[in-house]
Amino acid sequence: MVDELLFFMEVLVGGLLAGTMYSLVALGFVLIFKASATFNFSQGAMVFFSVLAFCGFMQDFNIPFVLAFILAALLMVVVGLCTERLVLRPLMNASEDTVLMATIGLGYVLEGLAQAAWGVEVRRLDLGIGDFPVPWIADNLKLFISALDITAGLVAALMIIGLFLLFKYTKIGLGLRAVADDAGAASSIGIPLKHIMLLVWSAAGVVALVAGCMWGARAGVQFALVDLALKALPVLIIGGFSSIPGAIIGGLIIGAVEKVLEVYIGPFFGGAIEGWAPYVLAIFFLLYRPEGLFGEKIIRRV
Amino acid sequence: MSNSSANILDIKNIEVRYDDVILALHDVSLIVPKGKVVALLGANGAGKSTTLKAVSTMLASERGKVTNGSIEYDGNTINKQTPSQMVGLGMVQVLEGRRCFGHLTVEENIISGAYSRKLSKGDINQELDKIYTYFIRLKERRKSQAAFTSGGEQQMIAVARAMMAKPKMLLLDEPTMGLAPQLVAEIFNIVKELNTKEGVSILLAEQNTNVALKNSDYGYIIETGRVMLDGTAQSLLNDDKVKELYLGISKKGRKNFRDVLKEESLTKRSN
Repeated sequence: MVDELLFFMEVLVGGLLAGTMYSLVALGFVLIFKASATFNFSQGAMVFFSVLAFCGFMQDFNIPFVLAFILAALLMVVVGLCTERLVLRPLMNASEDTVLMATIGLGYVLEGLAQAAWGVEVRRLDLGIGDFPVPWIADNLKLFISALDITAGLVAALMIIGLFLLFKYTKIGLGLRAVADDAGAASSIGIPLKHIMLLVWSAAGVVALVAGCMWGARAGVQFALVDLALKALPVLIIGGFSSIPGAIIGGLIIGAVEKVLEVYIGPFFGGAIEGWAPYVLAIFFLLYRPEGLFGEKIIRRV
Repeated sequence: MSNSSANILDIKNIEVRYDDVILALHDVSLIVPKGKVVALLGANGAGKSTTLKAVSTMLASERGKVTNGSIEYDGNTINKQTPSQMVGLGMVQVLEGRRCFGHLTVEENIISGAYSRKLSKGDINQELDKIYTYFIRLKERRKSQAAFTSGGEQQMIAVARAMMAKPKMLLLDEPTMGLAPQLVAEIFNIVKELNTKEGVSILLAEQNTNVALKNSDYGYIIETGRVMLDGTAQSLLNDDKVKELYLGISKKGRKNFRDVLKEESLTKRSN
C-alpha cells in the first residue's frame, strides 16, 4: 500500500516537473499573445533556432558556456528586432489573421536559417545537469525524480517571478499591459507600439532559448523541438492564452495528468496515451471554459 | 483668412477616404484658436470622429487616409506623423467610447498617459496629485480595476489619462455618450476647468448639441462629410435651423439639414 502511494507520488511529481518544461515553452506564446493578440506559430522554430545557435557557439566556436548563452540571447533580441521591422511593422494595420499567417512563414524562415547555419545533425547539449534521479531524494524520500526536472521547475519559477516584476513595476511593463488591453487607446496616448513589440518579441526569444536548453538537454537539440512546442497549445487552452500564471499552471496540469493517465489508464488503451490525452483535456476546456483557467475574461459591467 | 499664429489647429478642405474607396469626408475646413473650445456637431456618421482621427493621425490604423487638403497644427503640417509623435507634439485624442485599459487599475490607467514623457517617480506623483484635483472622484477609486468603474468614471479616466501627457490640445470624441445628465454636466465642468486653468485648446465632437454649444466658444455643424454651418456658439444656439434640427425645438417632424436648405431655397424661389 505504501509502495503504491509512493509510486503514485513519484508519477505525480515527475509529471508536474515535466509539466514545467511545457510551461516554459508556453510562456513564450503568452508574451506574444498578450501584445499582438496572435498565436505565434513560429515559437517552436524560435526554440529550435535559439538553442541550436547556443550549441553552435559552444561546439563549433568553443565559446564558453555562459558567453555562448549571452550571445544566443543577444541573437534572439536581433531576431526580435528584425521581426518587428520586417514582419510586424509592415503588417501594423493588417488583421490578426494576417499576422497569424505571417508567424507561420516566419517559423519556416527561422527553421531554414538555423539549419543552414549550423547543420542538420542532432546535437547533444550538456548543461552539466544529469537527466537521472537525484540520489539524495531517492534515498530519503524514496522518490525517483530527475535533476533536470527539478532544474526546469526552478528555472520556470524564476522566470515567472522575473516577468511578474517586469510587468507590474516597470514603465515598459505598464505599457505592455496597456497595449494588451487596447492597442488603439495605447497608441492614442503616445505609447509607441513598435517599442512594445520589440520588447515582447525579444523577451519571447529569450524565453524560447531557456525552454530550448531544457528540452535540448533532455531530447537532444534537433528539428523535433519545433513540433514539441505545439504541446504548448493544450497548455494554453487550459491555462488561458493571455495569462502567465496560466501558462505555468496549465503546464503543470498537462504534465501531471498525462503522466498519471499514461501509467494508470494507458494500459487499457494499449499505452502511449500521453501523446493525445492533453488534447482531449483541451477539448473539454474549449467546451466548458473557453477562456481557460486564468485567461482574461471579457469583463462586462452590469 | 485668419492669422495662423493665433490658431493652434487649421484644417483646410480635407477629404478623407477609407480603404481608398469610401469617401467619409468631402470637404471639411475648421479652425481652433489657441485656448478656445470648439464644438464639432453632427449626427452619427456625419464625419466627426473621422475629422478628429485625421488630426490625431489615428486614421491610418483604420486604413483611412487624408486624400486632399491640409492640416496645420501648432506650426507643423500634419502628414506622416504617427499618433505617438502627435502626442509628443502635445496633441492627444480621447477616443470615442472611453477605451480605458480594463485590467489596469484607475491609477495605472492615468499614469499610462505619461508614458511619452520622461518623468521620475516623484514627478509622476506630483502630476497625479494635480490631476486628482480636477478628478476628485477618481482619487477615491484609484485602486479599483478600471473595467469595474461606472461609465462616467471611465470617461473621467480617459480624460485624466490624456491630461497626463501634458497636451496643448485635446481632441474629445463624444465624451458624454451614454451618460446621465448630471454626469454630462460634471464632465463638461471639468473640461471647461482644464481649458481655463491649464490653457488646453479643445476640439470637441458631440451629438449633445445643446450642452456642447453652451460650453464652447465656436461651433461647426457637419453632415455627410461637409461643414454645413459654423458660427459662434451663441449664434448657433439662437439659430432657427439649429434649434429645429439639433435642439429639438420644433413643431414639425424630424428632418435633416439638407431638407431645410432645400425648403428654404424653394420658399425663396416662390417669393
